[in-house]
Amino acid sequence: MTNDVTEKNLWSIYNTKIDRRDFVLTSLAAGAMTLSPRWVSAQASTPYRIGLLLPSTGAGANYMAEAIRGLPVLAADINKKGGLLGKHPIEFIYRDTQTKPDTGAREARQLILNEKVHAIFGTYSSAVALAVQEIIHEHKVLHFAATSNSSSITTENHTPYTYEWCPDSDMQSGAVVVAVAKLIKARKWKKFVSIGQDYEWGRQTHKGFIAGLSKAAPEAKEVKQLWFKLGETDFTSYIAAIMSARPDFVYPAIAGKDNQTFIQQAQAAGLLKITAYPGGLISVTELRQQRKSLPRGLIGLARCPFFAHMDQPLMQKYVKMHRGKFGADFYPDDWACMYYDALTGLDQAVTRAKSTETGALLKVLKGATYDTCRGKRKFRELTNQLDCPSYVGEVWDSPDYPFPIYNPKTMIVVEGHEVWRDDEAVKKKLKHRT
Amino acid sequence: MADLNALLIQLFAGLSRGMVLFLLSAGLSLIFGVMNILNFAHATFWLLAGYITVTIYAYLADTFAPGFLLLVPAVLGATAIMVALGLLIERVLIRRMYDRELPEQLLLTFALVLILGDVIKLIWGVQNRRIFVPVTPMQAFGVFINPYYFFLIGAGFAVAIGLWLFLHRTKYGRIVRAAVYNREMVNALGIRIPMIYAGVFAAGVGIAAFAGGIFSPLLPMALGNDIDIIVQCFAVVVIGGFGSILGTFVASLLVGIVYSFSILIWPDGALAMIFLIVIAVLIWRPWGLFGTELRS
Repeated sequence: MTNDVTEKNLWSIYNTKIDRRDFVLTSLAAGAMTLSPRWVSAQASTPYRIGLLLPSTGAGANYMAEAIRGLPVLAADINKKGGLLGKHPIEFIYRDTQTKPDTGAREARQLILNEKVHAIFGTYSSAVALAVQEIIHEHKVLHFAATSNSSSITTENHTPYTYEWCPDSDMQSGAVVVAVAKLIKARKWKKFVSIGQDYEWGRQTHKGFIAGLSKAAPEAKEVKQLWFKLGETDFTSYIAAIMSARPDFVYPAIAGKDNQTFIQQAQAAGLLKITAYPGGLISVTELRQQRKSLPRGLIGLARCPFFAHMDQPLMQKYVKMHRGKFGADFYPDDWACMYYDALTGLDQAVTRAKSTETGALLKVLKGATYDTCRGKRKFRELTNQLDCPSYVGEVWDSPDYPFPIYNPKTMIVVEGHEVWRDDEAVKKKLKHRT
Repeated sequence: MADLNALLIQLFAGLSRGMVLFLLSAGLSLIFGVMNILNFAHATFWLLAGYITVTIYAYLADTFAPGFLLLVPAVLGATAIMVALGLLIERVLIRRMYDRELPEQLLLTFALVLILGDVIKLIWGVQNRRIFVPVTPMQAFGVFINPYYFFLIGAGFAVAIGLWLFLHRTKYGRIVRAAVYNREMVNALGIRIPMIYAGVFAAGVGIAAFAGGIFSPLLPMALGNDIDIIVQCFAVVVIGGFGSILGTFVASLLVGIVYSFSILIWPDGALAMIFLIVIAVLIWRPWGLFGTELRS
């Protein structure tokens, strides 16, 4: 009998505690590291202040822990050379959004008006991001989003100040469509049930999936849609309803702890024995934390898994830095990698613009290509969405890592531009702000 | 036949959901019924107990061979710790609230939600904790079922029967019931009301802790679970009648089964159905299905 919590080496994983105090201490350490090289620059060093808006409470806390504690470490690395342009050391000011839109908007305004931040990094939840966008647009502050990924962020709620560093919900559901369509053809699947979190991201993801699948595999029919409120703790009734529909597969628009809860209860209830469950979000966070219990062969969706890009110098750097700082078991998860890319990208943009002014940065970001841990990636000029891939793969035990990864032989990597909405469709939706 | 099977499996799902709700709400109802304290932190005690259960289980599993049986000492240990914590909190905080207005009670217990949430974060961090006990699904009604739910349903019935027997068949239970109706008279008889209240509060927290422990193999323990579930607990207690264990039991089953069938028939309206029942009860019988007007 195996048990996720019996392994002593796992205990250290659980002991990741992120709160404001820890963050401040790490940031202070990062700041202290900036002191030594300051003599390099004759100019007075003006800090570049970044407001970090991520949750350490609420539904997103589990996912954001590695990014929150990792970003000051990467900042310290940049600050060793004096910071941005060698004279603007990076300072992070952290605020907990609690995964709540009203809190996120309030903290964003406070960061901009009181803390005088130059940029905002965040948020986790799309609902929070949409609220924060109104604030950053009003105050003309640069916003790098690297987790919240509703396609509305870059289209229906577009602002020229927001740049999206992760695949959006259309790209993610498009990737699942590609993978599921292959399975539908191969396994002669006819009907499916959708289950999703009843909020902005869940609805958008599902909409994208249905639109894509109706073209890619019209023979598969959706026989039931189930929506549950965020934070559902008991899926028994949903699982029973799915079983009654006897689908060939279940399409999940579920992320976070709800996905963990659903998989845990669906597995124990035998649902995963009788139907496939392709496309649920299974990031490095889940692969590491549920290394014993995740069903092998389960088809998951990831946004930026380190193991897919270990050939990239930046990914190698992130992995080495993260493990070196936090322990050998701590490979950076998808979320940390995408935020690392956002910060590295900011460094590159400032170097290109030779300025930290937001106006100058917007010019060098628009439609430009940047080095990321996923290789060279270009921003879509129309939306400021990074053209980056999504990953669909089977959970598989690798001899190279202490936890399962996606089977590299069967993993499908779908590029963003292969599945995102075409320009005409985007133009119809694009918000034009004054 | 397939349709009948679908109805049976949905009924079973509703029953198990109802029992989950009962185990969570029974203590809340008991505390309010006896002490007139609306404990907003009830689900937070449940969550804290879940974390403690996971920790004890992990320790035991590292010492002995991991297995289902280790859940028993883990759950009992967590329940004992939470009963002690309940006594302490009653003594230090809740006791000062007996004569205060409802908003003040709510403020205090909401503060407890925040404080205990931070305590959880400080001790266990932000990452979800879980116990993984591999369960082999069993076949029934033509589909698979998680057999652990039979245990949950059994535990729910056992707690319901145990509470009823305690309140109606024991001397201490009769004193508790008497205190509900006339605490001055009970006091005049030489019975120490503060002791009764402390015991009831600890028992309420203990039931929540027991529920938290036995849920831990089904649910990752995560920050925010308590807030997610407390609203449904209040819905159950409002429908059943504050202070009525029988009412809480019936309301839990009603809510569980209505919710379950709504998901089958009208999934988008499942949650709305529950709150339609709450509204109907509040309009036509504000003291709840099994509450008494005295308590209202």
